[in-house]
Amino acid sequence: MLTNTFSAEDTPSNAAWTILDTEDQWQAFSKPVLNQDIQSTQQLVQSDLLLDGLRCAACSGIIEQGLKSTPGIVSARVSMSKKRAVVVWSPSATLPSKILTAIHDLGYSAYPATQHEDDLVSLQKQRAAFWRWMVSGFCMMQVMMYASPTYFTTPGEISSDILHLLNWASWLLSLPVLLFSSSAFFSNALRDLKQQQISMDLPVALGIIITFIVSSAATFDPSGWWGNTVYFDSLTMFVFFLLSARLVEVKLHRKTLGALDNLASRIPENTERQNPDGTFTRVLNTKLQVGDIVRVQIGEAFPADGKIISGNTSVDESLLTGESTPIQKNLHDEVIAGSYNLRQPVCITLNTIGESTKYGQIVNLINNAAVEKPRLSKLADRVARPFLIFVMLSAAGAAALLWNIDHGRALMTAAAVLIVTCPCALSLATPAAMLASASAFVKRGILIKRIQAIENIADIDTIIFDKTGTLTEDHIQIKAIATKTGLTESAALTLAAAVAQHSMHPISRALVNAHKASSLSAPQTGVNDVELNDVELTDIEETSGAGISATIKTSTADALEHSAAGNELKLGSAIFCGIAETNSNTQQVYLANKQGWLATFTLQEAIKHNAALAIASLKEAKLAIELLSGDRSNAVENTATEIGITQFQSACSPEDKLLHLQALKREGKKVLMVGDGLNDGPILASAHVSIAMGKGVPLTLAHADYVFLNGDISQIPHLIRHAKQTMRIIKENIAWAIVYNLISIPLAFFGILSAWLAGLGMAVSSLIVVANALRLTKFSSSETDTHSDQSRS
Amino acid sequence: MDILFVLIPLSVIMALVVLGGLWWAIYRGQFEDIEDEGKRILEDDD
Repeated sequence: MLTNTFSAEDTPSNAAWTILDTEDQWQAFSKPVLNQDIQSTQQLVQSDLLLDGLRCAACSGIIEQGLKSTPGIVSARVSMSKKRAVVVWSPSATLPSKILTAIHDLGYSAYPATQHEDDLVSLQKQRAAFWRWMVSGFCMMQVMMYASPTYFTTPGEISSDILHLLNWASWLLSLPVLLFSSSAFFSNALRDLKQQQISMDLPVALGIIITFIVSSAATFDPSGWWGNTVYFDSLTMFVFFLLSARLVEVKLHRKTLGALDNLASRIPENTERQNPDGTFTRVLNTKLQVGDIVRVQIGEAFPADGKIISGNTSVDESLLTGESTPIQKNLHDEVIAGSYNLRQPVCITLNTIGESTKYGQIVNLINNAAVEKPRLSKLADRVARPFLIFVMLSAAGAAALLWNIDHGRALMTAAAVLIVTCPCALSLATPAAMLASASAFVKRGILIKRIQAIENIADIDTIIFDKTGTLTEDHIQIKAIATKTGLTESAALTLAAAVAQHSMHPISRALVNAHKASSLSAPQTGVNDVELNDVELTDIEETSGAGISATIKTSTADALEHSAAGNELKLGSAIFCGIAETNSNTQQVYLANKQGWLATFTLQEAIKHNAALAIASLKEAKLAIELLSGDRSNAVENTATEIGITQFQSACSPEDKLLHLQALKREGKKVLMVGDGLNDGPILASAHVSIAMGKGVPLTLAHADYVFLNGDISQIPHLIRHAKQTMRIIKENIAWAIVYNLISIPLAFFGILSAWLAGLGMAVSSLIVVANALRLTKFSSSETDTHSDQSRS
Repeated sequence: MDILFVLIPLSVIMALVVLGGLWWAIYRGQFEDIEDEGKRILEDDD
């Protein structure tokens, strides 16, 4: 089955993948298979891949089958829920780039998973946490069984030796809960005490210990001064509830982090470097040195700052400068690291590498800004600290008051106060609400990096938007077409697209896309009277930075009187087409033939369709909105006026943006920053709270509080509203917990509340808090809002 | 009701046995992937 596969036809569809074929590269996401078949003499390797594009369970089957039929792959297993594949393959028969190509050919994309999910340390931690929870849950059920007879009988109905035996059984099964499951509470309480702090864990730990000691004493010597009542059921239930809350919190956190790992896992950056003999080999960018000559293919990013030594091209520097228009680069021009090569492969010599490049400087700026992030104050802690002190003092007070009368009653009362006030409800109040709303966000494609960011976004008063990729799509679109009399718009578009399809320039692609869209929206209705293949062109010639010219070879379209065979077509700037420029305020391209002007296409960055709606809705919420962009002024102004932003600033460098933000901060403003590109990184990191669009650079995503996976900015108003509702529910929860305690503490204090009633009260108050929080799992009334928004517009 | 003197200790022992079973299951990774395994049986395997 392991046949030789090195045939010429299966070259990888992405040249960059071949960098993974060296052993030191694929080892990053692979490990050798240890217990393999004895018959197989070859060493097998197991690799982890992240998959993109999985839709349903059938997709995993398709990928598994497709991989298994690829020579050299021994087995493949796809996990739908984790979006991961584990592939076992033979390094002597195939290469990682071929595996990626095989998946690509099936219509999915795959990335090497460099962060091992089954990382042994974290796996052990997870299992240990789950095991603690399981022990407490199972022992709780069993202890409750032993406790139930005392609830359903009158005292004396059960013989004392049976009761004694039941207590013994409860004590035995409470031991693992005390010693194993709740050990984290004890160690946390100790750590806080050492740092002279008070946290939820201290009364929890005290409550557990006092309850256990009193109950144990009652078990072993029911006739002693401490009485004969046991609280093992309250104890185990209490621990189980607390551990459940923590388990859910960790699980949700992992889910969010996992999605971010997927975004950050990419092919390691690599470039073709020229060898002394003139050939090119792919090397990692970290291995490049100043003076190296590298060839950068179309669509690749420049690995370092350098100078073009052969060829000319246009580059996209929008990630670094915010400038969305492609910039022409000729021989001897400088290119900057992190910008993208758009048109032609070029060779460059490297001038600066690593941290001294502009890209590296921005990265440093981000890292520094992240350090000065304001420390947030936690609402629950503010309320909880005085409350915790109050609870402990009242427990101690109750014990002290009754100590001289009856030692047993004193301790029991203190325990009852601790149990009944059990900070369970209070400690659940905040995390339950935040987790519930975080899970609502995840369902909407919003990842939340720090759960406390919900508090931050609830009280913002200013929003700063970036333009490219945030308010606008990252491609250009045709806004208007003006034509010569006698030529229809669609015919002009078809002619332009016929010429443009031979070019990779972004404007050309916009023309082709616009043509595709118009022929899709009006199929065979005669509106599109010319088809692309009606026109055949020869002598296609692209002049960089100016336009494309072509000669019409044959034309079968009668409608095109201007396109007789032999006529020349020109598409490009006004000078290139030999006509006068009409309007310099907007970006335009012209179509002309030998006789002169045919059509003008006005271009515009595609504004996201729901941007204006989102802005209007944010304005309604009385938020100040600003637009800061690195782009040149015209495009920024056009975008701003179109979607209704009055305050905007163009040509901002990352440093300018940071200065502006710090000025706002000094005024006491709380700023939400919404960005996408790399140049937003510093400001995202130092804003009060920040949102990054999921298509952005991994680096930007890493410093944002929220990541919008689908880049849908109309979610922002809903997000803010939901965050506000979350804060309201948290306050409700805390208020409820406090009211409950204010009522129950005096009752417990004066011994009116019996122990089992105290335990029940504790459980019910916690359940009410959780139930209240669960209201947040639905994205607050946003469905109805969206509908009403749509009907209004 | 003397049988309770046997049954209650027995229940403690059985609880410990079940806990042992749960320990085995957790550390064998039985709870690691509870979604995919359920769906796997529905897939056509050629």
